[in-house]
Amino acid sequence: MSALDLPLREQAFRILSGDLDPAELLDDCLARIEERNPDLNAVVATFPEESRAMLEQSPEGPLRGVPVLIKDEWPLPWRAETVGAASVPGVHLEPGESGPYRALRDAGAVIAGVANMHELGSSSTGNTSLYGAAHNPWDLDRCPGGSSSGPGAAVAGGLVAGAVGADGLGSIRYPAAYCGLTGLKPTFGRSAMDGHHIPNTETIISGPLCRDAADCRLLASALFEEEELAAGQVGPLRIGVAREPYWTDCVEGVREACEHALEALRGSVGGELVEVELPDQELILPAALLIAQSEEAGRLTAANLNSLSPELSVINRGVLKLRAVLPATLTARAVAARTRIRRGVAELFDDVDVLAWPTVPAGAPPLENPTIELPSGPISADAANARQGVLANLSGVPGVSVPVGLDGGMPIALQLLGAWGSDAMLLDAAEALERATEREFVELRPAAVA
Amino acid sequence: MEAGSAFEVYLERALELFGIEADETERMVMSGVWSLYEPGMEQLRDADLDEVEPELHLDLSQAPPR
Repeated sequence: MSALDLPLREQAFRILSGDLDPAELLDDCLARIEERNPDLNAVVATFPEESRAMLEQSPEGPLRGVPVLIKDEWPLPWRAETVGAASVPGVHLEPGESGPYRALRDAGAVIAGVANMHELGSSSTGNTSLYGAAHNPWDLDRCPGGSSSGPGAAVAGGLVAGAVGADGLGSIRYPAAYCGLTGLKPTFGRSAMDGHHIPNTETIISGPLCRDAADCRLLASALFEEEELAAGQVGPLRIGVAREPYWTDCVEGVREACEHALEALRGSVGGELVEVELPDQELILPAALLIAQSEEAGRLTAANLNSLSPELSVINRGVLKLRAVLPATLTARAVAARTRIRRGVAELFDDVDVLAWPTVPAGAPPLENPTIELPSGPISADAANARQGVLANLSGVPGVSVPVGLDGGMPIALQLLGAWGSDAMLLDAAEALERATEREFVELRPAAVA
Repeated sequence: MEAGSAFEVYLERALELFGIEADETERMVMSGVWSLYEPGMEQLRDADLDEVEPELHLDLSQAPPR
C-alpha cells in the first residue's frame, strides 16, 4: 500500500517520526494525480515547483510535509482562482496569499494542486465547470457533488488524504455525501476565509473533506489557525430528529441507512431521539437562497451581465440575470426570517445536542441528468439537496456529513448539526458514529481505487 | 393568470428596467429556476414577519442574544 492511502494523520505522524520521506510522498502524490486524474478530472492545476518549494520551507506544523488539495475558490501566491468559471462577473481575480493558503502553509502542509469545482459554486452536483465536470470515483458517470466537486472526487479517488473545500449552501457536505467521505462545515467565521472573492459573505466557510472525522479534525484545526479542535468523548446525546420533510422525503435506502446509523450511535453513546420541528421550516430554503445570492448582488450590473463570457454555462448566465432582478423586498424578508430562525434554532439547542437527518435525500445522480426520484416526485438534485443542507449556512451553526452506507452502490450519508462553536463535539459524535458502525463505511473504497 | 406567466411579465419588465439583455435560452433558464423555488418564495412573501425584532450586531459565529 502506498503511504498516500494512509490517513492524513498517519502520513503526518510518519513524516514527524522520520519513517516517511515527505519528498517521496509528494512525488507519489503528483504521480497518482497524473495516473488517475484523466478519469476523475478532480484536479485542475498542479505546480510541482511551487509544491516542492512549500515542502522545503514547511515549518514544524501538525501537517508538515503532507500533500493536500485546495478548491479553486481561493488565490495562491502563484495562481489566481477561477471559481470553476471562465470569468466571475465584476471581479478581477489575481494571485495572492489567501487565508486557507496561509493556514495550510503555516501548518506545514504542501499544496499539491488545485481541485475542480462547480462553475461559480452554484450547484450541489459538480456537473458543470470551466474544466469539465469532475467524476465520482464510485461511478464515473455520476456526480461527485458540488460545489466542492474536485476535493470530493480527489479524496475519494485516493489522490490525497485531505482537501479544503468551501461550504456556502452545503458545498462541502454534498460532495462528502456523494463520495463517501466525511466533510465538516465549520461554525461560520471559525476557519480561514480571507482572499475569497466574496469578502462580505455571511454563508460561506472553508472546511475539510477527508476519509474520516479524525482527519477532518486535523485539517480543520489547521484551517482554524489559532484554535485547537481537541478530541473528546461524547456523552449521552439528545438527538433532534426533524422528520418532515428531511427524513420522510428521501429514497428508502437512504432513510433506512441513516435510521440504522442513528440508532447505532444512540446505542453506543446513550441518550435519546427527540422528535423536533424546525422553526419556520418552510422559510429556511428561500431565506438561505436569497441571502446567499444577495452577497454578490452589487456586482450584477447591466454592464457586467451584458458582457458575460460566452464560455459561461447558459444555466449560470440565466441564474445570474435572474438574481439581478429578484425583488429586494424578498431579500429583506429573508433577513427577518433568518433572525427568527436563528432564535428558534438556539432554543432547539437548549433541548437537543445535535440535529440529524440525511445529508442528501438520494445518492449521486447521473452527470448527464442530475434529477432524482423522491417520494414527493421527481425533482432536481439541487433543489432537494439544498432543502437538506442550507440551515447550517443560514444560521451559522456547524454541520458534519458522515458516510453511513451504500444505496445502489453509491455512498449515502447522515448529517449532524450542532450549536454554534460545537465543531469539536460534532467531530466527537462523528467518530462515535464511526465506532458504532465499526468504521465499516469510512473504510469503504470505490472499486476503481480499492 | 398562471403563476408562470405572472413571473414572465415581471421578468420582462425587470430586465427592461435594469437594461439587462437575455436571450431566449437564458429566459427559459430563469423561468425554470424560478418555478423550482417559487412556492418557497411565495411563503416567504406571505409570512408574517412584521414583529421580528432585528438582530443588532449580527454575529453568525454565535447564538443570537436572547
